[in-house]
Amino acid sequence: MNDLDAMFDPRDCGADAGAYVLGALESDEAEAFRGHMAECVVCSDEVATLQAVTGALPMAAPQRRPATALKRRALSRALGEGESAADIPDRHRLRISLPVLTRSIPSAARGAVAAGGFLAAVALTVGAVQLSKGSASPMRIVPAVVINEGQSASAVLQIGSGQAQLVVSHMPAPPTGTIYEVWLERPGKPPQPTSSLFSVTSSGAGDVDVPGTLTGVSEVRVTPEPLGGSLAPTHSPVIVVALTS
Amino acid sequence: MVLLAGGQARAFEIVFERHGGAAFSLAYTISGRRGVAEDVVLEAFLSLWCTGARYDRARGSVRSWLLTVVHNRAIDALRSGAVHEGRHVRDEGCFERMEAPGGTEVEVARREGAREVRDALDELPTGQRNVIELAYFGGCTHTEIAAMLSLPVGTVKGRMRLGLTRLRIAFGDPADAIA
Repeated sequence: MNDLDAMFDPRDCGADAGAYVLGALESDEAEAFRGHMAECVVCSDEVATLQAVTGALPMAAPQRRPATALKRRALSRALGEGESAADIPDRHRLRISLPVLTRSIPSAARGAVAAGGFLAAVALTVGAVQLSKGSASPMRIVPAVVINEGQSASAVLQIGSGQAQLVVSHMPAPPTGTIYEVWLERPGKPPQPTSSLFSVTSSGAGDVDVPGTLTGVSEVRVTPEPLGGSLAPTHSPVIVVALTS
Repeated sequence: MVLLAGGQARAFEIVFERHGGAAFSLAYTISGRRGVAEDVVLEAFLSLWCTGARYDRARGSVRSWLLTVVHNRAIDALRSGAVHEGRHVRDEGCFERMEAPGGTEVEVARREGAREVRDALDELPTGQRNVIELAYFGGCTHTEIAAMLSLPVGTVKGRMRLGLTRLRIAFGDPADAIA
C-alpha cells in the first residue's frame, strides 16, 4: 500500500472505529485494527475524533456520593499508614473504647471453629452498648467474634438510625482469590447474602455498610468467598456478630 | 500534580475531593456494587499517587486520565467476575445520590457539562444508545451485544459508529465536558 492508498483506503475500514474506541472489539480484532490504523490515516483520524467522545462518556454516569470513609482509606493507603484508630471516625472512636469485654463464644462461632478448622478463635463477645452523644440518635455498637489465626483482629458492628456498618481492624486479608462477604442470618432460614463484599488494607483495616434491614436478624456473619461473591456460604465464618433484639 | 508527585498528602486529598465523586459514580455504574466500585476507585487513586511523577499533562487532564483508569479497571472487574453473576441486586439505598448543592464555578460548569452529555446520550436513537451503553458501561463486546439483541454484528458496529458520531456533533468539543 503506497502513501496515497494508505490515506484513502477504498474499503470502509472505519466500520470498526466506533467499536474500537468503545473497547468492544474482540482482542484479536482490536489488535488487527491497531495494525491497520498504523497505515490508514483515515481510521487513525476517526479514532482520535471518537476517543474525544468516549472521553466524555464517564460524565453520563449518574453521579453518586462515595462513602466519606473512602477518601480517608485512600489517603491512608497512599501514605502507607495504618488505618486502625486513626481512620475510625471521631464520632465512633469514643464509643468503641467503652464496651466491657466478657469472654463467651456464641454457639454459631463455636460450631464454625469446629467445622472450619481454624487454628484459633479470638472470641471477644461484648454486650451491645447503647451510646449517644447529646441529642443525636443513639448509636448501637455490637462487638463481633473474630475467628482467625491472628490475635489482634477485632470488629464491631455500628448500628445507627437506618444503617449499619461493620468496621474491622487488624484483620488478615482474605485468602488469595477470595473476598469477604457479609451475610444476614435469621433463625430457621438459610443465610441471606448481601451485596457487601470487602477486603482490608495492608494494615488490616476495613469498613463496609451492611445493607438491608436488621429486623429479625440474629447474626451478621462474614465469610471468605470467591471474588464474585456467593449466593450461599462456601466457607465457615471468620466474623460473627450476634444480635439481640 | 507537582505536589502530588512530591508525595504531599494534602494534594492527594484535593485531587480526591475534586474527582473522587466522578470516579466512584463511573465505577458504580459499571459494576453495580459499592464494594467493587470502592476498590476500583482506591486502586485508581493509588495508581495516580504512585505514578504522579510520570503523569504527562500533554496527554490530557488528571480527571480524564483518572476516569480512563477507573473505566478500564471496572470493566476488568466486571469481566473477571468480581461482580456477583446472576445477582441483579444493586446497592441502591446504601448511599445517596449525589446532591447538587452550589459550589465553585468549576463544579457548576462540570455539572452542566455532565448534564449535556447525559442529554445528548438520551437523545440518541434507542438502538444507538443501547449499543453504546452496553459496550461502555456494560463491558460487552460487539459480538456479545449482537447476540443479546439478535442483530447482525455489522449492524451493531454501525450503530456504535453512528451514535458516537452524533454525540461528537452534539458535544461540539467533548473535552469541555470532562476537563
